Amino acid sequence: MGTAAVRVQGLWKRFGQQTAVAGIDLELPAGKFVGLVGPNGAGKTTTLSMVTGLLRPDQGSVEVAGHDVWRDPVAVKARIGVLPEGLRLFERLSGRELLSYSGRLRGLAGAEVDRRATQLLDVLDLAGAQHKLVVDYSTGMRKKIGLAAALLHNPEVLFLDEPFEGVDPVSAQTIRGVLERYTASGATVVFSSHVMELVESLCDWVAVMAAGRIRAHGPLAEVRGQAATLQQAFLELVGARGRDTGSDLEWLGGGAR
Amino acid sequence: MSAGAAPDLAPAPPKNITPVVVRLKLSLLLGGLRRSGGRRAAYVASAVVALLFAVGQLLGFVLLRDQAHIASVAVLGTAGLALGWAVMPLFFPSGDETLDATRLVMLPLRPLPLVRALLVASLVGIGPLFTVLVLVGCVVAVAHGAVAYAVAVVAVVLALLGCVALARAVAAANVRLLTSRKGRDLAVLSGLVVAVGAQLVNFGAQRLGSSGLERLDPVADVLRWVPPASAVSAVDSADAGSYGAAVVQLVLAAAAVAALLGLWARSLTRLMTSPDASTLQSPDAAVRERTRGGGLARLLPAGRTGTVMERSLRYVWRDPKTKAAWVTSLAIGLIVPVFNALQGTGSPYFACFAAGMLGVQMYNQFGQDTSAFWMVALTISSPRDAYVELRGRALALLLVTLPYATLVSVVTAALLDDWARLPEVLGLSFALLGGMLATGAWTSARFPYSIPQEGYKNVAPGQAGLAWIAVFGGMVSAAVLCSPVIALTIWTNVSADGGAFGPLLLPVGAVYGAAITRLGLRLAAPRTAARLPEILAAVSKG
Repeated sequence: MGTAAVRVQGLWKRFGQQTAVAGIDLELPAGKFVGLVGPNGAGKTTTLSMVTGLLRPDQGSVEVAGHDVWRDPVAVKARIGVLPEGLRLFERLSGRELLSYSGRLRGLAGAEVDRRATQLLDVLDLAGAQHKLVVDYSTGMRKKIGLAAALLHNPEVLFLDEPFEGVDPVSAQTIRGVLERYTASGATVVFSSHVMELVESLCDWVAVMAAGRIRAHGPLAEVRGQAATLQQAFLELVGARGRDTGSDLEWLGGGAR
Repeated sequence: MSAGAAPDLAPAPPKNITPVVVRLKLSLLLGGLRRSGGRRAAYVASAVVALLFAVGQLLGFVLLRDQAHIASVAVLGTAGLALGWAVMPLFFPSGDETLDATRLVMLPLRPLPLVRALLVASLVGIGPLFTVLVLVGCVVAVAHGAVAYAVAVVAVVLALLGCVALARAVAAANVRLLTSRKGRDLAVLSGLVVAVGAQLVNFGAQRLGSSGLERLDPVADVLRWVPPASAVSAVDSADAGSYGAAVVQLVLAAAAVAALLGLWARSLTRLMTSPDASTLQSPDAAVRERTRGGGLARLLPAGRTGTVMERSLRYVWRDPKTKAAWVTSLAIGLIVPVFNALQGTGSPYFACFAAGMLGVQMYNQFGQDTSAFWMVALTISSPRDAYVELRGRALALLLVTLPYATLVSVVTAALLDDWARLPEVLGLSFALLGGMLATGAWTSARFPYSIPQEGYKNVAPGQAGLAWIAVFGGMVSAAVLCSPVIALTIWTNVSADGGAFGPLLLPVGAVYGAAITRLGLRLAAPRTAARLPEILAAVSKG
């Protein structure tokens, strides 16, 4: 290992007046569980969209597994799995049909798609709902079927945008189990989140983003440094310390009404 | 509140809640109108149109009251009105929030006062006013004597109550459906019901205009005994002196009102006392949703082509927006040539309508995917992939369109008994279809736009110009692309020795259509492959 799964250089994206991503340089190590953390609006989704080829950057280059995302899409698209946030699925297909569709579009043989889909549906606890239309799925079920579709072709690098957002604890544990098994075999997971506890318990490598820039990156222990938790380290990095609400709202809570 | 007043803390249920519910309905109406100026304008405009129509209809009935078959028209009009009331809550469920009695479920109310209050509340609004005006027109048309007018007063009240009770009973029986995903899907189809219904009414009216009102009599003879139309017919019976028949017809109408109210009260009681089980998963629900297209998949080619075709065809059936668009195209494509042929105003060339209407479905292919297009975008890494993707979509469309356009052409030719023109009509249809597939593929890549999934809009805000360019520009270009075949068709018809070449137009049109489709897909594919992020951004606004 030791090679970079993802190499980003000078990545910029502006939407009108607003700069969403302001020059990112980053190398994500292969074979790790990588967390991209930052507050809402930090540019995590924009970054992941550009890295996966769903959004065209204004400037900069992205390489996945040594191949340029924009110049060599054939090599890149076959090697990545993506679970985006805020985009729909083909919701009028059933869970099983969605997997079958997605697998066949990627060129897998029909029988192989069916075999893998059955196993993924089982492991992700979706077997009972496999013939239900995705439009009738709950948030947790949607994330799980999206994850199954992203894993179906056994990608080298998996990009997950907020995979645990709005997911119930049971589904979250299931997703976690699948991801841990996947990285244990040497594959790379890159996922974004704003829940620090989750990132701290899952990741061995983190990149902290705020206002469109990378504030820190490296192995978890390095980024955490002297701070007690990643949460503390993160608040210091993004400059949110000292906003303790000491004197305000003193009327709030028990005691005198 | 002092401790001494404790026994009064739980107020007795109000004796009469009718004024409260009527005020609630008015507040909901005004509150809805206050939300936006556009809504206000739309409400006022539709009110004015409805009232003008009702008044015009009333005047029409008064002026035509001495016509021979006016009684049949009045009976049919009442029956049509009742049908409208029965169907309206299914297709326009959001119109009246008091229709959903489950919203009142936390209040301590008994069923009977509630039914009374909701019934009175239902009589407030443009709909009931419109209905009263139409009903008054119907009875004035048939009433001549004092007795008949006395019966007419009872008849209008009974017919109005019948309509309103019918709507309420249907809505209460289907409230679970109306608040579920399937109900919202149904609402999307309502525009289609209006569009196709308008076509049918238009052709029906033309047909009546040409062949006289006596054609209505057999239908009216049956409906005279069906409530609430029987109430209006009672006026006619009383006018003719058959008081027995009039009494029976009024009793029928009254019994129907009572039965509907009873039905409504029963479903209300059940609704308000049983838990909402709509979010519970029933074990057999999964089985019911089981794939119906399983057999189809085996007939489709393997690989991306078959996969894309299968998904497209499933969406025609399952996605309400796509389904509405397809059914509209299928219906209009059939109605225009066939009905015109039936009326003797047709031409075999009208059969090209079928190909033209269905060809429109090729436009904005990726917009039909919504933001789920990312799944497609992630699997297109070369112009070749994009070509196979677009070709799969075109093939799915052809699978329906080719047999359908052929069928419509054959039926039209048969109705007009003009078999000689069939080959050139088919040739023209195929060429037109090819032109539309070619331009549809190209504009799908170049001018994609979002189709909002909720509501009646088919274009996301701010993209109307784009949609206009894509569809109308595309259609004009398709016509231009077909111009060689059109010119050839005209030549065979006007030139003295061209007639012999008529049958040749079928193969010429088919080959030409296939060739330009292929060309269009070839030109669209590299554009699609190069613009994936831009297409995704354009179709993700809905």
